[in-house]
Amino acid sequence: MSRFRMAVALVTICLVAGSCKTAEGTGTAQDATDSGGRITVWVDPPRVPAVNAFQKAYPDIPVEVNTINGNVGSTELQQKFVLFNQAEKGWPDAIFFPSNDDIAWASSSKINYARDLSPDLGDILAGYPAGVIEQCKIEGQFRCLRNDAAPDVFWYDQVLLAEWGYEPPTTWEQYESLSLRIAAEHPGHITGFVGDAYAPDRYLWASGCPTNDTSSEKQVRINLADERCVRVRQLLDRLLAAGVLSSTGIFSPDAAELGRRLVMSPGAVWWGNFLFRDTWKVPAGRITAAKPLRWTSDLTPMTSSEGGGLWGFSRHIKGTQLENTLTFARFVASDPRWQVDLSVGLPGYKPLQKPWLAKQREARYLADFEHAAEAFVYATTIVRSDRDYTRYNTGTVWTHTITPALTSGKSFSTAWRTFSDRLTREARSFGYTVES
Amino acid sequence: MTQQVLVRHRSRTRASSAPAVRRVRARKGHAAAVLVAPYVLLLLVGGLIPTGYAVVKSLQNEAETGFGGLSSYQRVAGDFRFVETFANVALVLCVWMPLLLTAAVVLALLVDASPRRFGASMRFVYYLPGAFAGIANFMLWLFLLNPGQSPVDFLWHGFGYTSLNEVAQPGNLPFIIAAMLFFQGTGTWVVVLCGGLNGIPDELLEAAKMDGATAWGVVWSVKLPMIRPWLGYMTLLNLAYGFQLFLEPQVLGQVTHGLISPQWTPNQLSFTYAYQILDTPAAAAMSVILLLVTLGLGLLVVHRSRLFQDER
Repeated sequence: MSRFRMAVALVTICLVAGSCKTAEGTGTAQDATDSGGRITVWVDPPRVPAVNAFQKAYPDIPVEVNTINGNVGSTELQQKFVLFNQAEKGWPDAIFFPSNDDIAWASSSKINYARDLSPDLGDILAGYPAGVIEQCKIEGQFRCLRNDAAPDVFWYDQVLLAEWGYEPPTTWEQYESLSLRIAAEHPGHITGFVGDAYAPDRYLWASGCPTNDTSSEKQVRINLADERCVRVRQLLDRLLAAGVLSSTGIFSPDAAELGRRLVMSPGAVWWGNFLFRDTWKVPAGRITAAKPLRWTSDLTPMTSSEGGGLWGFSRHIKGTQLENTLTFARFVASDPRWQVDLSVGLPGYKPLQKPWLAKQREARYLADFEHAAEAFVYATTIVRSDRDYTRYNTGTVWTHTITPALTSGKSFSTAWRTFSDRLTREARSFGYTVES
Repeated sequence: MTQQVLVRHRSRTRASSAPAVRRVRARKGHAAAVLVAPYVLLLLVGGLIPTGYAVVKSLQNEAETGFGGLSSYQRVAGDFRFVETFANVALVLCVWMPLLLTAAVVLALLVDASPRRFGASMRFVYYLPGAFAGIANFMLWLFLLNPGQSPVDFLWHGFGYTSLNEVAQPGNLPFIIAAMLFFQGTGTWVVVLCGGLNGIPDELLEAAKMDGATAWGVVWSVKLPMIRPWLGYMTLLNLAYGFQLFLEPQVLGQVTHGLISPQWTPNQLSFTYAYQILDTPAAAAMSVILLLVTLGLGLLVVHRSRLFQDER
């Protein structure tokens, strides 16, 4: 028995000694390597054209592309990074994070993958509007680049509203009353989706409801009893009861048919091309966007973002490999050959916003383009800065509490209680101290 | 003289036979060691070393800097999803195991009682669904579950479901997973049980018939008791498999864009601790708990089915 104990103790000491590694700084890691030029990039399917455009623009840089699962709220990516850290190799040089919350673990002291970009890409960082790049600033360092600005605006079918004789709403209260009228007068039409991982951004954060407001790596404020949560909860409750909101998510295959019956909805800037035009195939000249809705008790409207993808770059490289990776970083953030010619979203990088909008104007998809363009640019300036990216994913908790409850016919208030309860516990299980 | 020679001869024989026997035994021992070595090696690499590693890891503190006692066990057992994950698996097992046992036994008995060629073809037909390997089987199920594409859409419409999200809602998950496991595994077990039924000596069955046993009597009093160890073996392996569920709820969660909690089974909770919460000792503790539960249930099954009775 004593021999067994000694063996256990020995193994424990070995394991402990092996795992005693301190977190390093955030620039280039000490163990950085140089491939001599080849770079590896990981992207979700919609970002593959960015890599193709880069290869065309820089044929001398060899690129290895790996397409990853692009589901928002998917949890499988982090696992790979844990293993890379253990193996001390295998990290991609550049990655497009499928969920924005991914940056929380990628820059955490344990995984510590994403490099601080301020020393090398200061000029690029300066080209972003403050509200767009704010969330990449983690503990004073810029650990990511914004691909596209994805603030929510207010989308509506201009033709249908005019035909029915309705004015587009400008406040959340008007949105509610018009939705209820549409439910009564035009049953079968809908005015929003609540079943996807972006719904908490679209509705809760638009109201300022704190579901993930961090003050440090281990402290977060969650308070679903806050007045700003209560007002949006009541609004959603009434609209769901009237059957004018769909419990489906925007990415669900079932949403395609529903999307064509969507009269109006808050939604991100990229909804125009990605959802209305490409996924739901709504004909050109119907859809337009207005400025984000305002709560009548608030002085100005505020909005949140639905994604607006983030690029991260490895700390574990140096030399030519690093140089080429930084060339790639500059390309995906600020080169019109990707951002203007191919990207479906409004560029986060401000100097490219005008050319992108000009190109959209030419495409003649949106109705009343100038009105929509003005709303897009304005929305990038009013994004809530207290919405932070966290190790737990609020959207994931939402989709496996609210969505199934609504699908199985439970009331929204019951679903909300479960969501609230699980969100707090989920945050705690990640080691956050939850304040309310 | 003759006697003396005889005695000398005997004693010589005795003296020379002892080392010979030892040599034979040693040779036999070597042969056994060679035969067992690959198994022992695999057992070490795939079983004992990882288990030992998990036990040691689970006793570390959260920061993995030293001994933490049972704190990681406390953390996982106190997790708000801990009981829930076991309840989910228990529900799946409650639906799946009785179905599997009944269907496999009934089908195997039918195959056994059928004329040779027909029985063999039926055995092959039952085996077919199991031939689809894990992920192919899963893809097939996605089509079956989606009311828009399913050949059994009348079933979903009967329940009032029009979309995959309605079919795959968490309340239905135990039934869906049980169905997946059922179609995937039953055929294989029919084949195994047929093997067991074939092993029953014909004389025994004839004797039973001569004693006046009806067909039902032969099944109930001869065949079933004779394949009891096989049933125990089947229960044992499938219980262990059920507790290790991971793939089905994980992929279904992704396909439905997060409708299913990423911590639906104990294995998924362990996975979350390892790769999202980054608390490896807690993940290891969860694995050890899972091992103990499976081991406990396994021992119970072995005991109740008298699985290794013959060897004793």
